Amino acid sequence: MSDALKQSLDLSMFWEYRAILLQGLIFNALVFLCAASVALSVGLGAALLRINRFWPMRWIGTLHVEVFRNAPDYIMLVWVHFVLPLLIGMVIRRRVEFHPFVSAVIALGFVYSGYFAEAFRAGIQAIPQGNLDAGRAFGMSERLILWRITLPQVVRRMLPEALNLFISMFKATTIVSLIAVPDLMYNVSMVIQQEMRPLPLYTGAAITYFLIILLLSSGVRVFSERWRRKILA
Amino acid sequence: MGNWERLVWNQRDVLLAGLSVTVEVCAIAFVAAVVGGLVLCLIRLYVAPLRPLAILLIEFFRDTPIFVQLMWVAYVWPEIFGFPNTFFNAGWLALGLQSSGYLAETFRAGIEAVPRGQRDAAFSAGMSQPQTFTRIVMPQVLLASAPSIVNQFTVIVKSSTLISVITVPDLMSQSQKLVNVWYEPIEILTATAAIYIAFVFLISLTGKLLADRLRRRYGLAAS
Repeated sequence: MSDALKQSLDLSMFWEYRAILLQGLIFNALVFLCAASVALSVGLGAALLRINRFWPMRWIGTLHVEVFRNAPDYIMLVWVHFVLPLLIGMVIRRRVEFHPFVSAVIALGFVYSGYFAEAFRAGIQAIPQGNLDAGRAFGMSERLILWRITLPQVVRRMLPEALNLFISMFKATTIVSLIAVPDLMYNVSMVIQQEMRPLPLYTGAAITYFLIILLLSSGVRVFSERWRRKILA
Repeated sequence: MGNWERLVWNQRDVLLAGLSVTVEVCAIAFVAAVVGGLVLCLIRLYVAPLRPLAILLIEFFRDTPIFVQLMWVAYVWPEIFGFPNTFFNAGWLALGLQSSGYLAETFRAGIEAVPRGQRDAAFSAGMSQPQTFTRIVMPQVLLASAPSIVNQFTVIVKSSTLISVITVPDLMSQSQKLVNVWYEPIEILTATAAIYIAFVFLISLTGKLLADRLRRRYGLAAS
């Protein structure tokens, strides 16, 4: 029993494969960056739909948020990878296939766009009507008001929550290994298949992720505390 | 529509069997998470010598991605601790551990939000420390954190899709089996996604209604 423990904590094998594992980690970061930009832009779009004057638009925005906030990310990943290309293929009458990386970005981006939409909406609705009226009185167009008055304030207000969402998103990027994106977990399982030694490798992966995310999340915690004080002051 | 009937409706027994495993795992994981979260939180607050250990565990459970944690619990723990002995147990254990970290922090915030004066008042009214905790502090904590607890349950259900990876026959894994038999993913996977979305939506809706009702009855404003 203690032998197993010793084996798990013997991370020399993890260290031996550091190059390929680091490569996987870079893939995690890439998936994260692409998915985050999808989530931000789609989320903003959905939030704007939800506060639209016309009810069908609002309805679509609400549907988007409810579907993606309640969807498990793994089933969305599988759905985007195996079903969406078939559906697109049926429409354009040609065989379509997604690269796993593309599927991962679309799936994670859309799942998290639901959460970002709610953050954007809360921020937009917190802006006093007077600000918008003042902008209109100056003759600003609605689009200009959105970019110059609304969004800067929204971004400042939602920043702490957005950073927390980014951390959850980074954690979620681990599941992309399941559709064979060569991320850290994928490479770990490849090495395990070769070496037949799951103990040190899974432990090493868990410790690596733990340290990275602990660092990120404590940074975010300190930053948010200061940011809130600065904004409220 | 014929496809839907053939691939989804006629296979409903397979899918329902999966759904019942999902419900079972999530329910056990949820109970484990609440109990574990409470224990971790109490150790962190009141058992000074074990505090660093509790903090380390809470942070580890919260900051490790659920998929990594699941693989770790499923493949490494049996060798070290001799437990969990089945993948079913590994599934609920990993889900429960992750959520217990989050719930521990929720409970801690709730406990620290109860004004000190109330505890002093309970002491001076002759209540013992455990009595004060169970009758004065805990009811308020549970009321205040009810929405977060429900939210954590939805997180468990969403993460539970991953236990299909370690071959627990949950809804996700049953639907993937069907896909592998019929090679027609469109209807099966769409239906599975819809079931999950409806299930999670239903949980958060009933949870919100229940929490609002409790809070109104016991004099806290609805959120």
